[in-house]
Amino acid sequence: MSSARMAWLASLGLLPAAAWGLLLFGPPAAAVLVVSIAAAAACELAVTLPRHGYTLSDGSAFFTGALVALMMPPAVPLYVPAVASAFGILVVKQTFGGLGRNWMNPAMGGVVFSFLSWPGLMSRWAAPLGSAAAGAEVPPLEALRAALAASGPRDVTPLGVLGRAGYPFSPMDASAVGWVNSHVLAPLGAALPQGSFDILVGHVAGSIGATCVPLVVAGAALLLARGVIRWHLPVFYLGTFALLSLVFGGLGTGQGWFAGGPGFHLLSGNLVLAAFFAAPDPVTSPLTDTGRLALGIILGVLTFLLRFFGSLADGAAAAILLGNCISPLLDRWLERRKSRVMEREAA
Amino acid sequence: MSWAAIVFTFALVDNVVLSRLLGLPAAGQPGARPTPADHAADDPSIPDSLTSARSLPPGGREGARAAAVPAWWLGASMTVLMSISAVGAWLVNAWVLAPLGFTILRTPVMVFLVAGLALALQALARRVVPSMANRPEVSVPRLGVNCVALGLVLVTTRAEYGPLQSLLAGAAAGAGYYLVSAMMGAIRERLDIEQVPPALRGLPLQLITAGLMAYAFMAFDRAFLARLLGA
Amino acid sequence: MTDAGSGPIRPAAMREAPAVLLLLGFLPSVVVAVRVVDALWMAAGVLLVSIGSAVARSLLDWSSGSPGASTVGQTARWLRALVVSSLLTAAFEAALLAVAPAASAALGIYAPLVAVNLLAVGTDAASPRPLRAALGALHKGAWYAAGLVVVAFAREVLGAGTITLFPAGGFGGTIVVSALLDQPVRALGLAGGGLLCMGYLAAAVRAVSARKTGRST
Repeated sequence: MSSARMAWLASLGLLPAAAWGLLLFGPPAAAVLVVSIAAAAACELAVTLPRHGYTLSDGSAFFTGALVALMMPPAVPLYVPAVASAFGILVVKQTFGGLGRNWMNPAMGGVVFSFLSWPGLMSRWAAPLGSAAAGAEVPPLEALRAALAASGPRDVTPLGVLGRAGYPFSPMDASAVGWVNSHVLAPLGAALPQGSFDILVGHVAGSIGATCVPLVVAGAALLLARGVIRWHLPVFYLGTFALLSLVFGGLGTGQGWFAGGPGFHLLSGNLVLAAFFAAPDPVTSPLTDTGRLALGIILGVLTFLLRFFGSLADGAAAAILLGNCISPLLDRWLERRKSRVMEREAA
Repeated sequence: MSWAAIVFTFALVDNVVLSRLLGLPAAGQPGARPTPADHAADDPSIPDSLTSARSLPPGGREGARAAAVPAWWLGASMTVLMSISAVGAWLVNAWVLAPLGFTILRTPVMVFLVAGLALALQALARRVVPSMANRPEVSVPRLGVNCVALGLVLVTTRAEYGPLQSLLAGAAAGAGYYLVSAMMGAIRERLDIEQVPPALRGLPLQLITAGLMAYAFMAFDRAFLARLLGA
Repeated sequence: MTDAGSGPIRPAAMREAPAVLLLLGFLPSVVVAVRVVDALWMAAGVLLVSIGSAVARSLLDWSSGSPGASTVGQTARWLRALVVSSLLTAAFEAALLAVAPAASAALGIYAPLVAVNLLAVGTDAASPRPLRAALGALHKGAWYAAGLVVVAFAREVLGAGTITLFPAGGFGGTIVVSALLDQPVRALGLAGGGLLCMGYLAAAVRAVSARKTGRST
């Protein structure tokens, strides 16, 4: 498959999540998306037109702009995604020779550049359309951090903490969770906490494209099915993260072992979007399946550490940049190991 | 600072290369300008060539071809030099300079301490590992003049670390240096230099790579460290 | 070690502009180049030490009667250069601490590093005439100053929205660029930003000097 086809397919994979984001956050989100893609396209044209001619049809600039936009908060001033896309295309991608030659993911580079430049602006969240309640514009992850910091550890799940702190879940969530609890789980003696429906479906504040995890995964399924990305990296990434957050996640907040709320953490923040659309980028990820597996584990560990102990509420983008740094080294080590094994066998 | 904090800080948070900008031209990269020989050194048939690093100080050009220098040797010799220099600096500072009140002479004394230790290590390395040490590109005095060790020594003496803390700081800084050096070398091997605009090839690209890597390493900050160790 | 004191040997194949070479030699000091005033102090230190070193070495050469490298061994030259530059650096540090303690704190460990950076850049064989040596060092130092100030200017204007200069009379020392002061591009003030600026500056200088083919650098 040509790289142009792959890039356009990847953009197509982003469509479900993007559509949901536009539905949830309305015109501001649409503006962010348009500006981000336009900036990426303009920068790409400015560099490649004099040298190679028109290259926008390879779809990679479009994809970079779209991914940057989907990781932005909806109410961010428009120059932020514009600069992020420009940085990603000009500095991270074109400086190193253009399509296929960058070692760092352009979208993640741009997003982290924005985090470092405008930390306050990158928290300009917006409430989902239809939620007028106070506090609805704060994403669950940030609200959890605030709640844990404010009143110390509680012996409940993350959603429970949010519930006690008065996080405004939607009425639909109340009825959905109530129905499931009474009709399905009550006989089993279990119960879903309030808010489960909201975070599953993505009816919460957050980045434009990252709130509805099932739609992200659906889009990613397309990429996996068509062979644009391989399953090893995302699966081991998310798996490692889930395992670590299950076992150790509760320790820092006093809930004890095996009480970290992996379900909540998988469904919050940019994690799944990054794991399927940024981490397994064929240009920047390792060349072998073993390498992808290893990098997936490394990314899982890094994201776990950054999310639970780091300064940003969400550490996925930063973790992916660190993964970009170490991926060539991983390739080199694995290659040398393989050649040593082969030498030994030949001898 | 606790020992874990020192290791984490000197290896990652205040990485010698990415945060203090010391030792960059040598860190996994060729010298100031790429020569055709640099590309030759990328030849995969050269065994054990992890990088084409020239461990020369930025201006100490010999016009010679860039030789393949194993990253582990560069990292190991840097780590040893930094650790010993840090301890030596503490000794000199605590027993000589401070009691005599000559702290104003700290700079020249430290410069000579580091240079002297670098020469001594070079002589030692010639005895112990002659195959490595006799390559002119990796001569340890050049590493000393490269100011990484000196920079580290200045940090530890100003922060008034004790002897064991200094040793640990030096070792951690060396490990951090090796990590960055290896990563940059691997990235360099992956680049397709033909596609890079000519003005950017070589030194500018190396600096920009380091800059992007530095942004990635911003994830390791003091708040992260505090929470990680406090938890 | 052998030719650290005898100056750079430049292959004819490629030459870097003096500004780029100097900036590379003093690369660590880019950490300091976040405010224009700090860059100016750093440049002052480099100028002082390099001019002083050049003059001192040429006087020593003159007094020992040899015009160049013939009678004095390479190692001795290197050691001598080290002594001279580190003593001068110590003097600069002391003076800076007395005159501008805030700048001294801002420069931190990078002021002492001037001593070895000078050698790393490659000290040309000092001319036997002190005046010529001084002028040569001044020329190099001016290039360095220009490059460092450009980087600092870009990083401060875009990264902090200000331009900080020496306070004089009623002028407090800080010019504010109001459009950028509210939400500056803070990432440029970080170490990574300095490296990026340096990289693009080096490329720009190289592109300009490549266009002027035949010009000796």
